[in-house]
Amino acid sequence: MKAIIYITTVLISLTSFAQSPYEKGMTKALGLWSEGNSTEAVQLFERISSAEPEEWLPSFYAAQILTYSSFGEKDKEKVTTTLNKALELMNTAKTNSPEKNAELMVLEAQYYTSWISFDGMTYGMKYAGKVGELYQNALALAPDNPRVVLGKAEWDMGSAEYFGGDVKSYCKDVERAIKLFSTFQPESVLHPSGGLEHAQEVLARSCN
Amino acid sequence: MIYNNSKVSLSIFFISLFSILSLSAQTVISGKVSEKNGTPIEGANVYLDGTYDGTATDAQGNFSFETEEKGPQLIKVTFLSFEPYTFFGDVKILNNLKIKLREDVNSLETVVLSAGTLEASDNSKVSVLKPLDVVTTASALGDFVGALQTLPGTTTVAEDGRLFVRGGDASETQIFIDGIRVFTPYTPTTNNAPTRGRYSPFLFDGITFSTGGYSAEFGQALSSVLLLNSIDEPAQEATNIQIMSVGGGFGHTEKWDKSSLSINTSYINLAPYLALFNSRNDFQKPFQTFSGEAVYRQKLKNGLLKVYGAFDTSNFSLTQEDINNPDGTQFSLNNKNFYGNTSYSGVLTNDLKIDVGASYTLATTEIGINNITVDDTENSAHFKIKLKNRFSNRFKLTGGVEQFITDFEEQVSGDFNPQEYGYKNNLTAAFAETDIIFSRNFAIKTGLRVEYSAMFNDITIAPRLSLAYKTGKNSQLSIAYGNFNQQPNAEILKFEQNLRARNTSHYIANYQYTANNRIFRAELYRKDYTNLVTYDTTTASSESNFTNNGDGYAQGLDVFFRDDESIKNLDYWVSYSYLDSERKFQNYPIEATPSFASKHNASVVTKYWVEKWQSQIGASYTYGSGRSYTNPNEPGFLQEQTRAFNSLSLNCAYLITPQKIVYASVNNVLGFNNINGYQYANTPNASGQFNRQALLPATDQFFFVGFFWTISDDGKENQLDNL
Repeated sequence: MKAIIYITTVLISLTSFAQSPYEKGMTKALGLWSEGNSTEAVQLFERISSAEPEEWLPSFYAAQILTYSSFGEKDKEKVTTTLNKALELMNTAKTNSPEKNAELMVLEAQYYTSWISFDGMTYGMKYAGKVGELYQNALALAPDNPRVVLGKAEWDMGSAEYFGGDVKSYCKDVERAIKLFSTFQPESVLHPSGGLEHAQEVLARSCN
Repeated sequence: MIYNNSKVSLSIFFISLFSILSLSAQTVISGKVSEKNGTPIEGANVYLDGTYDGTATDAQGNFSFETEEKGPQLIKVTFLSFEPYTFFGDVKILNNLKIKLREDVNSLETVVLSAGTLEASDNSKVSVLKPLDVVTTASALGDFVGALQTLPGTTTVAEDGRLFVRGGDASETQIFIDGIRVFTPYTPTTNNAPTRGRYSPFLFDGITFSTGGYSAEFGQALSSVLLLNSIDEPAQEATNIQIMSVGGGFGHTEKWDKSSLSINTSYINLAPYLALFNSRNDFQKPFQTFSGEAVYRQKLKNGLLKVYGAFDTSNFSLTQEDINNPDGTQFSLNNKNFYGNTSYSGVLTNDLKIDVGASYTLATTEIGINNITVDDTENSAHFKIKLKNRFSNRFKLTGGVEQFITDFEEQVSGDFNPQEYGYKNNLTAAFAETDIIFSRNFAIKTGLRVEYSAMFNDITIAPRLSLAYKTGKNSQLSIAYGNFNQQPNAEILKFEQNLRARNTSHYIANYQYTANNRIFRAELYRKDYTNLVTYDTTTASSESNFTNNGDGYAQGLDVFFRDDESIKNLDYWVSYSYLDSERKFQNYPIEATPSFASKHNASVVTKYWVEKWQSQIGASYTYGSGRSYTNPNEPGFLQEQTRAFNSLSLNCAYLITPQKIVYASVNNVLGFNNINGYQYANTPNASGQFNRQALLPATDQFFFVGFFWTISDDGKENQLDNL
């Protein structure tokens, strides 16, 4: 028994020693986010981003959390400060990303979508084309990325709803995204891998 | 027991020693973060820069965390809408810190220098129009100038169509694209049909319309400047096709990695329209115009280069009723206009921004009036360099130099010896301006502009000042003072160059209240004119004696209210302007109210989105009180007034699909018979009375139907922007 505890302890210590401070920090920040501590998660991602100026993931996640939190916010001042901060972090991520990056394109599309959903009259015509183009390019770059497929499907559904098109015709894309989630291999455990639950929600809400 | 106790003590000692040893590797960083006034800030991010060590402040603003770092470190505190705080010190002293964050003045909460300025943009709190308004306002017919005429401070001069601002004539307003002057912004028309802006509104995504007290960066405008910012990056590749009741258009945008090219062409011909509807003009050759525009944008390492070129040609000929000529007046026009504008905007260092630009205009106009032909050729250029240094968020300094060059030539020929007039004009200007933001509640801007005119061999110095104070969460007061100079117009300069610049002083007080998608704005102003040009003949000519002895004033109140909240899907605004203005200029025998300065002007604009029909229905109503004219049968000068101007316009945009839009509009749907003024006979009739004829618009109403089709990859972009 003692031996088992001993071995386990050593193993745990070993793995935690094997993790770099970057991995440890990122794991902690992702954990904070999944526990619902968005503010703390953003702050930790920001700290990691400032300590690791070559990495794109910390600022990417910070920008993503801020963008998500801006959806549904009605106060112009809050939306503006949150999205401006998100944009700043997104630009850092873009600069650091070694190549064209579909995850960043989806984030950028979501950033503009948030402006549109905040004030469609002002931002709709201005950004709708941009969002369409971003999804178009992301899909060309990563046709089997489930977040790209899902993001585009949701955007198409939203437009169809607004302009009186057939929302259900995009359900097959959502279903495809759900399938892709099970086969998609992120580059590392720290790379984006989430979205399955949201896809199931979209399917349940709009396709039944 | 003793032994046992010592054993325990020993272990305690070792444990303590061990923990002290391990603690000695950790330093505690602690303190409290609050606002300037002492209010604690919860949730601020406190960390050692470049490390993972940090935490968030609690509800009392307190923070405490451990670090293994040694020696001097940079502690950083960040929080949304506050300026980041940094402090460099040894970790040992980084405890019990009392940190006060300064509010970030780069935020929507900060007071805006708004006196005189009406903005159409997304991100400014004081913005009165949204970019789309320019193209969805019923009376505007897709013309940005038309949309601005629904704002306070403008006067309705229906037969002209240009911007008349606060008692100033149309030439007192200057138009700039990306900070570079546009010398010939309007398409020429007959004298009873309104003109339009030459440039298509969809090229621009920000419009600032200043009705007074504007920045020292801009000069040669007595009353107003209109600043158009062209789009930096088009949204996507697309092809546009337009089929309209008055012509057609084609556009295409192509995007590459770092650059993009947009082209746009259109052809307008009023012949089919005139065949269907009556016009008071008897056209021999109906109005037609062809225009082409291209914009190339290239992203460079530290900035953006834009090259813009536009060419258009218009012509028509017609006979107009004339009380002094039973056969009517023959009038023909042939205009060719080229405009090129190149600008570069970039950063030199983190805090230093540079803008460089140049524009060139070549305009030739051939006008025929009965048997007289007037040929005008204008060559104009503008060069400008501007540097802006940001010393901090709270202090910015802008400075620049610019050069304007104009070469104007006119040849008048007929059954007499041809006559030639013209002038060459070189104007050099330098300007400097500081922006100081003391707090979110108080900001000030001071500027100075110096101009040297080679033609007049004269230097003018014009100071500018504006300040803004926040009176409440949603309200602010601003005041502005400015001195403005402008050379006389080409119509004068071509005959006489021994003159001086005209001058005005503006005094403006503005109150603005913004909350929940509602804006209320009221502005009081006073303008004093000096050095206006006078002459002693019926019209300016080579025979006239010109002086700079004219003067005048304008004062009034502008009110604006917009509400996008109270009724779902309905957006509306109301503008009212009161104007009291008199001046002595041109050949006025006394100080009088010019015919372009009516006392009361009002507009109501509504836009209603009908979801079920996927249509936007818009209406706009314009009122202008009577305009002055001289009745030679009575004593006095400009002593009488026409009846008031009224017009109600309706429009509707129906989205068949997001890419196929049908658009229809009717101007003056109720068919008011508007009168712009009167023309009196040169000689009295048998009973000693001067006969008169009303100056009427070419058409009382105007109908427009168009079909707009966009072809793009993703099938979403549309041309609402284009309408």
